[in-house]
Amino acid sequence: MNLLTVVTFVPLAGALFAVLLPRDEPGQHRALALAVSLITLGLSLFLWFGFDAAAGAAEFQFEEQRAWMPSLGIGYHVGLDGVALLLVMLTTLLVPVVVLSTWKAVEDRVKEFMIAILVLETAMIGTFAALDLVLFYVFWELMLIPMYLLIGIWGSQNRLYATVKFFVYTFAASVLMLLAILFVSFNDGGTFDYVQARAALNVTTAQGRWLFLAFALAFAVKVPMFPLHTWLPDAHTEAPTAGSVILAGVLLKMGTFGFFRYAMPLFPEAALYFRPHLATLATVGIVYGALMCFVQTDMKRLVAYSSVSHLGFVMLGLMAISAEGLTGSVYQMLNHGVSTGGLFLLVGMLYERRHTRLLSEYGGVAKQMPWLATAFVVVTLSSIGLPGTNGFVGEFLILSGTFLSRLPNGQVLTVVASTGVILGAVYMLVLVEKVFYGPIRKEENRHLPDLSLREGLVIAPVIVFIVVMGLMPAPFLAPAKPAVDRLVQRFQQAEARLGLPSRVGTVPTAVAARPPLPPGGAY
Amino acid sequence: MTGFPTRDFVALVPIAILTAGGLALLLSEVFLSSVRRGYQSGLTVVTALLAAVAAVVAQPAGPVFGGQATVDLFSVFVTVIICGGVALSALMSASWLQARDAERGEYYALTLFAAAGMALVGMASDLLVAFVAIEIMSLSTYSLTAYVRRGRRPSEAAFKYMILGAISSALLLYGSSLVFGATGTTLFSAMHGAKGAGSLLLLGGLGLIASGLAFKVGAVPFHAWVPDVYEGAPTPVTAFMAAGVKTAAFALLARVFLSSQVGGGAGDLSFEKVLVVLAVLTMIVGNLLALPQRSVKRMLAYSSIAHAGYLLVGVVSTRVEGARSMALAGLLFYLAAYTATAIGAFAVVGSLEERTRGDREPAAAWDLSRFSGLASRRPGLAFAMTVFLLSLAGVPPTAGFVAKLYLFKAAVGAQLYPLAIVGVLTSILGAFYYLRVVVHMYMKPAEGTEAAAPAPAMVFALGVAALVVVLFGLVADPILRLAQAASALVM
Repeated sequence: MNLLTVVTFVPLAGALFAVLLPRDEPGQHRALALAVSLITLGLSLFLWFGFDAAAGAAEFQFEEQRAWMPSLGIGYHVGLDGVALLLVMLTTLLVPVVVLSTWKAVEDRVKEFMIAILVLETAMIGTFAALDLVLFYVFWELMLIPMYLLIGIWGSQNRLYATVKFFVYTFAASVLMLLAILFVSFNDGGTFDYVQARAALNVTTAQGRWLFLAFALAFAVKVPMFPLHTWLPDAHTEAPTAGSVILAGVLLKMGTFGFFRYAMPLFPEAALYFRPHLATLATVGIVYGALMCFVQTDMKRLVAYSSVSHLGFVMLGLMAISAEGLTGSVYQMLNHGVSTGGLFLLVGMLYERRHTRLLSEYGGVAKQMPWLATAFVVVTLSSIGLPGTNGFVGEFLILSGTFLSRLPNGQVLTVVASTGVILGAVYMLVLVEKVFYGPIRKEENRHLPDLSLREGLVIAPVIVFIVVMGLMPAPFLAPAKPAVDRLVQRFQQAEARLGLPSRVGTVPTAVAARPPLPPGGAY
Repeated sequence: MTGFPTRDFVALVPIAILTAGGLALLLSEVFLSSVRRGYQSGLTVVTALLAAVAAVVAQPAGPVFGGQATVDLFSVFVTVIICGGVALSALMSASWLQARDAERGEYYALTLFAAAGMALVGMASDLLVAFVAIEIMSLSTYSLTAYVRRGRRPSEAAFKYMILGAISSALLLYGSSLVFGATGTTLFSAMHGAKGAGSLLLLGGLGLIASGLAFKVGAVPFHAWVPDVYEGAPTPVTAFMAAGVKTAAFALLARVFLSSQVGGGAGDLSFEKVLVVLAVLTMIVGNLLALPQRSVKRMLAYSSIAHAGYLLVGVVSTRVEGARSMALAGLLFYLAAYTATAIGAFAVVGSLEERTRGDREPAAAWDLSRFSGLASRRPGLAFAMTVFLLSLAGVPPTAGFVAKLYLFKAAVGAQLYPLAIVGVLTSILGAFYYLRVVVHMYMKPAEGTEAAAPAPAMVFALGVAALVVVLFGLVADPILRLAQAASALVM
């Protein structure tokens, strides 16, 4: 049995087993879900240690290829490159944390909840692992159903509106991608296999651009890119803590991963064509998301808008198409998963104590909950990219990578984007100040329990990764390097083939040190 | 043509079995005056399965009776779908009818006669045979619609169905006569080589035939009867009609369309344009009108119109040589998937429907609120309904997804990009109204009375339907292969 396939389907097997267990004993379901997700984590560690990050190693490892629906040209083809590996590890790490975090928060229909989480884990790992376009689409859509149920059943007041909006938005954006996938299969020798399609795809420039747009729409909604982000604040706010963590931690990455894996390498010419527009939208998203944070009164909504801002950085780095920018984007995907996931976990813990997410209901609670406050501050610092935390590494790579890239107007965009860093520091610190410091204004806030042992266990991995990834980024950057280099190379080849002036990669340092070239100068 | 045409009659054995089963049920009602009629649905299931087995086992005979009917793998596939539909709907009928004290042999006999007609429609390759077969099918379904006449709605439904059905039959017959006038033949196989190819007369005839068939499948703008009839008819009958009539009519439409295509000519192109317009209208209007419905049964009726639109895309896709076999196989697979899904969905609706005594009509027998909180009251039923709804919406990993994928792949292969785009965009609307039912089942608190436990036969039928829907979504390959084999031999 292929290890990757096992990792993908162990959670699903656990979910099927959970169906057999009695509904009335929630403890069994909690324990089972935790055990299954820990086993998955354990198995995925073999992937981590078995992965060969050398430049000469195979692009996709742990590959498995079988016929699935050969009469339609659909195969079961899975494999991991470094970026997918990192995201799979993020997923398998976050799920047990999430399960543990719901121990007390979910009392109602625990069986269904845990089944939904486990099915969701299989769908998420499958999305990263798939190397067949239809298989990818199947996992991509499969993910919607449990998420839809998570928000709709266990969410808060306005959950029905939020969950239907989430589903319809994402479903609507992806159906055109399905047509694009079908179109691709008619122009690459009749296969849905990603590796073959990438090598053999033969479309005209105009077709390529339309196809890119169809893929990009699906991914841009998921990221979410400004102005397609409006589902996110609703979904995040209404989702239960577990849903928010998974949504922020993993699901949003699928959008950026989709650009990295599918939209950009399949249609390099179109990607180059639309790159300035996407980079501009990403920058607008950074600033817009940050500004929106200032006016939020709901903690979860605030964190949701900060996600829009952070994912804008990731998109900007992707569009830089330079080694640093892309690496920074990949790293920032992980960071956002860890730190925003952590923020949602902590907000969830506050909510469990006070049953409100309104900023105005808190204030001064650090005295009652010193440990929770400490954890919150650490995660906040990571989120705003303080040096020494993981956030700094990612943001620095993205900003410097974009500045030194050959992206048109790259420098201007970088300057605008870096205001997002400053704004981010302001709104996050204001959040911390309003919630944890200052005088206690509400009587209810005088007696709040600090972190319990279980909650400590939930948040500890997050803190550990924030520090480790901040101080020792190398082990996490290494697997991504071959994938990033290959993508840059693909774009260089595409430019050479099309006879375009070179606009990818990094400007040589000597040039970069000089004053910027005049407009219209030879970049 | 001397001697008894044994071969030709042997080819019709599945139809003979269905008819004989129907007759046996009628007679049983006369001679066995037992109060317990549980065996009748069982007999129907056995008959349907026997007919399906007979259809599969017999060597496809090709053209029989001088080419008036064609028994090929295509028709075999259609027959099997129809028999499966009969068996499933008979299983759900038993408890539904029992609960309303209306279980009689006539019901099952009519179902089997209708099925015989449908199977014959799938084989017809002559306009007159097609007409006769359609009438057999339609007369049986008209009567079935009026089978439980309590309150005004069923009578209204049956009357409407019969009048509009008669008009569509008239269109069909008139169209056939025009085609005969233009070409001098009613055989599909002889039509394209005939002298009148491309003439206005032929075009008019084909247009009328297309309209008649559009009535039967409920394509817009010939759809007005569908919601009322589907809602007014007894739920098991609705399920059977939605699946069976659609399967038969589309099989025929595909044959007629193909035979008009093969010759090539100016007039034939117009036939295609008519179908394109029908497809676009049907997809858009069907989905839009399903949106505001609060009655789940009515919503499913509109959804069946929408699905007819997708199927029409499949029919049009057969125009390009390269995409033809894909489109036909896609049609067959879609029909099979839709049969299991729609019957399953209607079965859930039927088992939740409000029951009344006497002639009093329930005001909101199928209202969304009856589904509220179903997940906590009857988790199994809610889960099955979710599977069916997701399949109708075309979400993986269900049969509906593979079916849509296949059909749209054919459409892209036939370069019908606008149709494919309209198709996927309207399916977004579908996601919205199907999900509303899921919202009610899983996310709203329970209202009203406890739902009665479904009968064992109903549970079995639901289980089979749900299993088929999931299996067709996960391991579709064997079925896809069969569908592809069946698509090779149409003409």
